[in-house]
Amino acid sequence: MKKKSLIWTLGLVAAAGLVPVFTSDQYILHVCVMILIYVGVTVAWNILAFGGILSLGHAAFFGIGSYTVAILYVKMDVNPWLGILAAMVTAALGSLLLAVPLLRLRGPFFALATLAFAESLRLIAIYAVPLTNGSVGITTPPTQGFALISFSSREPYYYIVLAMALIAIGISIWIYYSKMGYHLRASASDDEAVRALGVRTPRLKLAALVISAALTGAFGAFAAMYLFVIDPETNFSTPLYSIQPALNGIIGGMGTVAGPIVGAIVMTPLGEWLRTTFSGTTQGLNFVIYGVALIIIVRVMPGGIVSGMKKLYRRFRPENRSDGTAPDASGPIQPEQELANSEGGRS
Amino acid sequence: MGVKKIAKRKLVRLSALGVATVVALPLLMGCSTAASSSSSDSIKIGAFFPVSGSLALLGEESWRGVQIATDLRNAAGGVADKSIEMVFADVPDVNAATSEARRLASDSDINLAVGSYSSGLSLAASEVFARGGSTFVELGAVSEAITDRDYENVFRFNPAAGSFTKLQMRFITEHLAEELGKPVSELNVILAHEDSAYGQSVAENAVIDAAEAGLVNFSLEPYNAKSTDLSSTVLRLKAKAPDIVIAVSYAADAILLGRQIRDNGLQLGAFIGTGGGHSLKGFHDALGEAADGVYDVDFTQIHVNEEFTPGITEFTAAYEERYDSLPASGHALANFTGANLLFDILEETNGSDDPEEFRQAAQNFKLEIGTTSSGWGFSLNENNQNELADVYVMQWNGDQLETVWPEQAAIRAPLPATPFGV
Amino acid sequence: MNLLVQTLVAGLLLGGVYALIAVGLNLIFGVVKIINFAHGELVMIAMYATFWMWTAWSLSPYISIFIITPLMFGFGVLLQRFILQPMQNSSPTIKIFVTLGLSVLLQNLALVLFGGQYRSTTFPWAEQNFSVLGVTATYGRITAFLVAIALVIALFYLMKKTLTGKVLRALAEDRETAGLIGIPVKKYYLVAMGLGTAMAAIAGVLIGPFQSVFPLAGAHFTLLAFVVVVLGGLGNMAGSLIGGLFLGAVETLAGTYIDPALQQVAVFAVFIIVLLVRPQGIFGGSARNAEVGLK
Repeated sequence: MKKKSLIWTLGLVAAAGLVPVFTSDQYILHVCVMILIYVGVTVAWNILAFGGILSLGHAAFFGIGSYTVAILYVKMDVNPWLGILAAMVTAALGSLLLAVPLLRLRGPFFALATLAFAESLRLIAIYAVPLTNGSVGITTPPTQGFALISFSSREPYYYIVLAMALIAIGISIWIYYSKMGYHLRASASDDEAVRALGVRTPRLKLAALVISAALTGAFGAFAAMYLFVIDPETNFSTPLYSIQPALNGIIGGMGTVAGPIVGAIVMTPLGEWLRTTFSGTTQGLNFVIYGVALIIIVRVMPGGIVSGMKKLYRRFRPENRSDGTAPDASGPIQPEQELANSEGGRS
Repeated sequence: MGVKKIAKRKLVRLSALGVATVVALPLLMGCSTAASSSSSDSIKIGAFFPVSGSLALLGEESWRGVQIATDLRNAAGGVADKSIEMVFADVPDVNAATSEARRLASDSDINLAVGSYSSGLSLAASEVFARGGSTFVELGAVSEAITDRDYENVFRFNPAAGSFTKLQMRFITEHLAEELGKPVSELNVILAHEDSAYGQSVAENAVIDAAEAGLVNFSLEPYNAKSTDLSSTVLRLKAKAPDIVIAVSYAADAILLGRQIRDNGLQLGAFIGTGGGHSLKGFHDALGEAADGVYDVDFTQIHVNEEFTPGITEFTAAYEERYDSLPASGHALANFTGANLLFDILEETNGSDDPEEFRQAAQNFKLEIGTTSSGWGFSLNENNQNELADVYVMQWNGDQLETVWPEQAAIRAPLPATPFGV
Repeated sequence: MNLLVQTLVAGLLLGGVYALIAVGLNLIFGVVKIINFAHGELVMIAMYATFWMWTAWSLSPYISIFIITPLMFGFGVLLQRFILQPMQNSSPTIKIFVTLGLSVLLQNLALVLFGGQYRSTTFPWAEQNFSVLGVTATYGRITAFLVAIALVIALFYLMKKTLTGKVLRALAEDRETAGLIGIPVKKYYLVAMGLGTAMAAIAGVLIGPFQSVFPLAGAHFTLLAFVVVVLGGLGNMAGSLIGGLFLGAVETLAGTYIDPALQQVAVFAVFIIVLLVRPQGIFGGSARNAEVGLK
């Protein structure tokens, strides 16, 4: 059985790698690149969610990543590949500013602090004109080449971001099954108990924050190179990079390994499809539908698509019941419990 | 341990499912995009405007101007016997602009696109078109950066931010200084601007132009574009006691700034808006008589010398018939004029949208000032910026924004009035 | 010196608006335990209602407030009954995203219905100046400020003295126990949500005469209102008032003396610092609230 699913996975990764062989449509490849950027950011966001921590401020790390690579490349002539590595470092350092809130605040309070943090960074990026060019933003030069992460066609971008996304997923799976992940998940349901057993959960949470921020910074840096234009309104955008990854995670299944991947794969094309289908009709209609869809999806599948599908799977494949009902000990953590048990504003 | 393995296997399978979706998706989407067909008797042009999100209002106005131009031209027989087909894309933010530009650029029938009202959106969309070798024509965004990137196939037909600030400085030195009875070097001028790309790029130009104009007492007063309260800005202005305030504002902040200047009794010799919110009818609706006397430098508005702007009456009539109101700002007219210039150039290429042919035709195309519906002429400089597109000084009077300066475009002389009723 | 006084006055008047919006959120956040990201949109709806009643029927905001407030109470009840109540036992995270969806929906519904125009309720009386010792303000702003204070006192009284208030406080502290001793939790949640929405509506009507309305007019207030609620303490109405005034003052002081472009940064910085130093809010929430946590 294990071999079988390994073969499946390898086969599908290979198939994902072959997408550019099936289609050379630059727009479709572009959507796939955007999906993979969102897969990456959502998976990164989800590493905090393993510990039951809700961040609504990942735009901060995304933006720090974007600006690091852009400033280093455009103003200091540093190679963008090095820039991506630097972006991971700066995003990780930036995340340390949230270390104290992370350890002191619980549940919604931490979420609000991250939201305010990302907004502050956006305003500072607008203000710091000499460094960031302010709202006008930075445009990367059109010089092409693999060394400069700049190509005329989408295919190379696709492979680069696919590799990055696979690495992020790999890290996420590794953390999930490591001792760290086990303790994180346990602390999500009962932090006190885990600490009583002598596990230093603050240290684990901090590690999760730093890893999550560094990965997000890497994708922010890639997006900067891919989208050419870096400005505070976009790269520190709360709706695009704080809310959307969290939304993808929630819709896919927060705190699971597959959830964020599924969420990003479903939600990115949905937004894209709604916009292209309804543009030119009534102003704003696409977002009305998006809003309604969001409410319905979250209400019908509060545990996310992954657990929703599992339920369906169980219902329609009774002969697999023994397999399907395998204890969920390491399955998705129940976010319901996790925040319900949070101890108010402080811990 | 066994439990863990089973769960892991399930997860692996689920992630495999996710990957399957990535694979399936392009194939599905491929079906939907393949449907667009080509036809040799029409010219397909991409059109990017934000009609949802925070830029929806003026984005929509801009798009209306392009639609009217297209429909009127098609009704008159099209371009070189071909009809014009605008392929619209809503671009509420920069990511959407990149996405949509990618989508339209991948349609092999689209080699030419127009846009985009906002500088940020224009930079993103034109970058995709230019790097792909297609043509992008900006009809409304003002940031200098758009034409400063040395792309051969990125054009701008409307005036850039520099035109606004140059005219403002000229108006101050050639008219207001005398009216206020102070030498230029003693005038205390403050530019209050919001901090989006629009405000910041105008401010950047203003600093240079003010220095050139000999305004030694010139300073900036930035504020946050999303502020719901501008008391601090107004109090700071009050403390500096300026003779003239130039403002660069979007819609809500223009109204707020005006109201708070009035409420705080800030006396000014003159107040000059820079398009945006100061051209909107909503600005006058909100402030009533207090808005009278406020100057505004912007694209051509409908209350202008009609001999200077041939074709404007047809535009206004068509707009009113279609939308049952007068244009909300000058953006519809600017985009209307720009789209018509584009069609005239396509007439020169005999309807070909080949980027190289288009570029040569555009560079050879010349029109005198005062021959288009905005009063603009046409002549591209080395950056493909239309040098003969210009802005004018308007003044609010009643609920009309009347063109007052320079003389060839004016319908009346500028009237001395204290802005905001103080 | 005069500049300082004027800045402070402007700040307190602005803070009154924040407090007005925040008390409603405090009820929803504190009692129903929902992080309502659509709170600003509730304000926006009331602003549109004010504008239309003024434009269509010449109803002054200070009359239409008596029509809009009950209507919005009903709207809040409907929201709770049909959208939020079915998810009562879901995690707070899930509920956050329902309210986010609601916020996107309402913003764009306004865009679909009314377009992107910026509309202003121009009620002349509210725009008249009022000047004491060189410090000026408009009647509209002063009214909003005074109503905010009156409303907070009324709510304070409601929560302390009336049965409804006592039940709401019990719910705020411990829903399960309250349910066990026979309090009809669902019914009182409807009341709390209705009241919270009505408060947002009052805020929307009162700021109508000096803030123009457009689809995104309320969006900016949501995060600010959360900041105020957290500063003042969950479930603490007086705290919300003082928190609002404090934030208003921080914003204008930072604007006047540091840089207007950074005034929001100052607000968020104060927020994060207060969260760290006193997570229960400057003035403390109801004590047990902090212990029980947010369900």
